[in-house]
Amino acid sequence: MVHRSNERARQALHGLVNPSGPRLTSQRRGAPSWAAVVVRLLLLAVVALSLLAGIAGGLLRLGVALPATTHAAWLGHAALAHAALMICGFLGTVIGIERAVAVKLRAAFLAPLASGLSGLCLLLGQAQAGAWLGVAAAVAFTAVNVVVVQRQRAAHTLLLLVGALAWLIGNLLFALGLDGVAILPWWFAFLVMTIAAERLEMTRLMRRRPAAQWSLYAVLSALLLGAACSAVAPAAGGVLYGTALAALALWLGIFDITRRTVFSHGLSRYMAVCLLGGYGWLAVAGAAWAATALGLAARDLALHALGLGFIVSMMMGHAPVILPAIARVKLQFGAFFYVPLAALHLSLILRLGFGLLDPPLRAAGATFNAVAIALFAATIAGAAVAWHINDDPPGTTQPGKAT
Amino acid sequence: MESRPPFPYKGPEALRQAIGDALTRVVDPEVAMTIVDVGLIYGVTVTDEKLHVLLTMTSAACPVTDLIVEEVETELDRVTPPELLIEVELVWEPPWSTDRMSERAKRFMGW
Repeated sequence: MVHRSNERARQALHGLVNPSGPRLTSQRRGAPSWAAVVVRLLLLAVVALSLLAGIAGGLLRLGVALPATTHAAWLGHAALAHAALMICGFLGTVIGIERAVAVKLRAAFLAPLASGLSGLCLLLGQAQAGAWLGVAAAVAFTAVNVVVVQRQRAAHTLLLLVGALAWLIGNLLFALGLDGVAILPWWFAFLVMTIAAERLEMTRLMRRRPAAQWSLYAVLSALLLGAACSAVAPAAGGVLYGTALAALALWLGIFDITRRTVFSHGLSRYMAVCLLGGYGWLAVAGAAWAATALGLAARDLALHALGLGFIVSMMMGHAPVILPAIARVKLQFGAFFYVPLAALHLSLILRLGFGLLDPPLRAAGATFNAVAIALFAATIAGAAVAWHINDDPPGTTQPGKAT
Repeated sequence: MESRPPFPYKGPEALRQAIGDALTRVVDPEVAMTIVDVGLIYGVTVTDEKLHVLLTMTSAACPVTDLIVEEVETELDRVTPPELLIEVELVWEPPWSTDRMSERAKRFMGW
């Protein structure tokens, strides 16, 4: 997050240099090209579309429909493709943009463009085109991750690549018409492994305990094995998958740097709180996933403790540093960021706790989940306005994230 | 205040402290430490025409590299003479390791 307004008073050389070869880019910052602006706007549009339609579709599944949209055809498509819209159209596109920005290759933006357009096709009722565009997106995203591994061969970059392959498998199964029991473990493995890889990278800052790395590999191997088994042996696969999720929550609780950074202040503490709250939901999701596989009615708990409690909470934590990087929007951090975070977690308690045996409460909780996400969007907009008003206040800088 | 800078510096003594302080104002909120404490600055060289910073990141998959570079430039811009060009070079070799962390950073992370 950057809190600076002053432009450079002079020209900077600003060279980004490849260690093993010639200078990759030596760019002077200026106005982006028209093509870049069009791509950015298109990506923004498809990300927003997938998110909004995915939420609307999810609410309809629980019997909550926005009045003006009750008879809209797209809403029916959105309800059918809720998971694909949220995981591939929204999260997959955002992660694809993140990785494309990191590798600084124009071609890398093909991955988020394809996944974003996949979401659009799904909404228009073009299910096959949407599904195969998702496959194309995952292939491109996997290639981008190969580039990352070539640049830095490390445990966390290899895990990111494995996460991309999990997305590719999930998208292939989706395109081939398999059901959610087979597909969802792979889609969530993509998201969970992406987060786990990034957290593993951070643990390098702490004194590495010998068990940290191999225990994470064991947990993630179990996760992938559970995903693979889910299509052919749903009970065994689901129990293994759920156990791996719970074990990952334990691993993060023991080894993650949030145990330290939660005692810092400002944005750092906020990010740690988001993550720690997410780890709690990850443990709940693991238990519920295993319980669902054994026949208990805990599917909503498993999917949304994971998707909203773990992943969206983590996204809320990282948005203040990621958005400035991928959308070039500058934000002012403040305690008001805790409001949507609290709303998300409280609404999840309502939906997944009290609503477990009471469908109306579950629907109310889901509605408040959507309100929490809308509140977060408003918070981001407010933070952008606050940055412009509070231009460069001395002593409040919380500059960029360097990972 | 802890003595700085914990990175190789070649250039006028008059700028050493100001440059160290400027780089220390660039913070990684994810780890709640400055980029100097994390050990991302590999070296600073100041000649008559140019201020050259060599820095790394801990991950090649990090999407906010440009923001860090921009922030480094902005902070240096504030404390150095306007005629001095600022060049920030991102390298991956040698790879970052925990040996580069400052004592303060290690204490914070429970070493």
